[in-house]
Amino acid sequence: MISNLAVAIMNGIVWGLIMALIALGLNMIFGLLHIINMAHGALYMLGAVVAWYVIELTGNFWIGLMVAPLCVGFIGLIIERGLIRTIEDKPIITIICTFGVMLAVQQLVLMIFGGSPRRISPPIAYRFPLFDLQYPAMRIMIALISIALMIGLWIFLRKTKYGLWMRAVVQDREMAVGLGIPVNKVYMWTFVLGSALAAFSGVLAAPIVSVEFMMGREVLIMAFIIVIVGGMGNLEGSVIAAIMISLIQGVGALFVPPSIATVFALAFMIIVLLIRPQGLFGE
Amino acid sequence: MKPVPEKNEIILELKEVNKSFGGLLAVNRVNLSVNKGELRALIGPNGAGKTTLLNLVNGTLPVSGGHIFFKGKEITNLSPHRISHIGIARTLQITSLFSGLTVYENIWTAVQSRKKFFNPFIRALKWQDVKEKTESMLDLTGFKDKAHLICSELSYGDQRILEMGIALSTEPDLLLLDEPTAGLNSQESMALVKKMRSMLSGQTIILVEHDMGVVMELADNISVLHYGAIIAEGAPDVIKENEEVKKVYLGSEHA
Repeated sequence: MISNLAVAIMNGIVWGLIMALIALGLNMIFGLLHIINMAHGALYMLGAVVAWYVIELTGNFWIGLMVAPLCVGFIGLIIERGLIRTIEDKPIITIICTFGVMLAVQQLVLMIFGGSPRRISPPIAYRFPLFDLQYPAMRIMIALISIALMIGLWIFLRKTKYGLWMRAVVQDREMAVGLGIPVNKVYMWTFVLGSALAAFSGVLAAPIVSVEFMMGREVLIMAFIIVIVGGMGNLEGSVIAAIMISLIQGVGALFVPPSIATVFALAFMIIVLLIRPQGLFGE
Repeated sequence: MKPVPEKNEIILELKEVNKSFGGLLAVNRVNLSVNKGELRALIGPNGAGKTTLLNLVNGTLPVSGGHIFFKGKEITNLSPHRISHIGIARTLQITSLFSGLTVYENIWTAVQSRKKFFNPFIRALKWQDVKEKTESMLDLTGFKDKAHLICSELSYGDQRILEMGIALSTEPDLLLLDEPTAGLNSQESMALVKKMRSMLSGQTIILVEHDMGVVMELADNISVLHYGAIIAEGAPDVIKENEEVKKVYLGSEHA
């Protein structure tokens, strides 16, 4: 029992960190562009699919991890410039349009990649003993990479000019315009960055789950729950909420079937929203 | 009083400017010229059109008629963004700063707005001249010791000073101040005025202000608005003695 619990907690943390990356992108896009990006899960899936092709071609997981975010970031750039730019400030329209993008991406992947799930085998096969079970070292690696990406993001936001611009635009868009911050470019790069983060998490999740065209669907819902629980616009809150919710789900799955464990996460969200409608760390 | 600049170079000129909202004429054929280096106060009873006039100057509202010239070029109906780039900065009646950022980051953001070059990967806090200018602005505004506080932690009076510092950091040719002492008690007001005198010397300013003490203390010249029209203009001493101004501004019982 103790070893099952330890594995559940480890899995909860690893999966929570992956979810945090997705939720961070979603939350940044929401905080800056004020759009609810329904295509975010599809970009996560696309990251995993692109990585699958790159790994097939090169046989190297790490190249896939580098290339997929670049490709998906570029696709994010096209989506932002081509679509979102033209409809910003119309919340309902942005939801419908990004939903359309989600369907288009899913169907394109279905056409090209096919409907059957495929696996990306972990580049690190080593397992270490955890009580009387074995735990894959790859998952620890995934967690470390996720943490490194988050630290990188934090430094980017705190210490670079562009990061400061992003935080300024979140605070007050009109004043930022007045101070000559190129708000349009900030929007564009935020969307690209959010898309790339979704792709990163897609690649990191790929050795744990299987790669298929619908893999973004549940992840999108969970990411929304995380953003709401953590507080809209609060990035640190998203990270903490992601880990909490994944732990609740992971540990819950020890006692009930995994699909029912999602109920725990939803119940957690309901309780949080009853007590703090603005989310755990929202203002 | 501040020394009057030797050349009376006109920096802002309004010619027959009108603004109507439906049937209401909020600004009525206003002619106004402001010299470089001058602090011009706009006073008048509530609803006289002072804030509307500022909104016309910085492009927030389109004019209904007339022309506005800035540094010799017509700026009538340019977008606020363009006008800000040409060199008119403004503080608002409501607080205008990034309340979740630090004092340093606020000033830095304002200072860098004048920089044209563009490199997203430059480390913000190592960008040499922006950094130097930011630090000198922190000195000037007296925020050196509070540079790393989040703005929402500052007192309300300090926030108003910082706002002015932000506006000044963009190195505007003309600064529009809309009721900088709004919401301050008289003690805070006087502290702000003292600060303004040291911070703003030599700066061309249009000041909209209710507090007569503040206006008399700071203004080089005063324009009095009443129902959207300028009814008197002149040095503070002259305006103080103007009978018509007393009548509209102080109420008829003082006339």
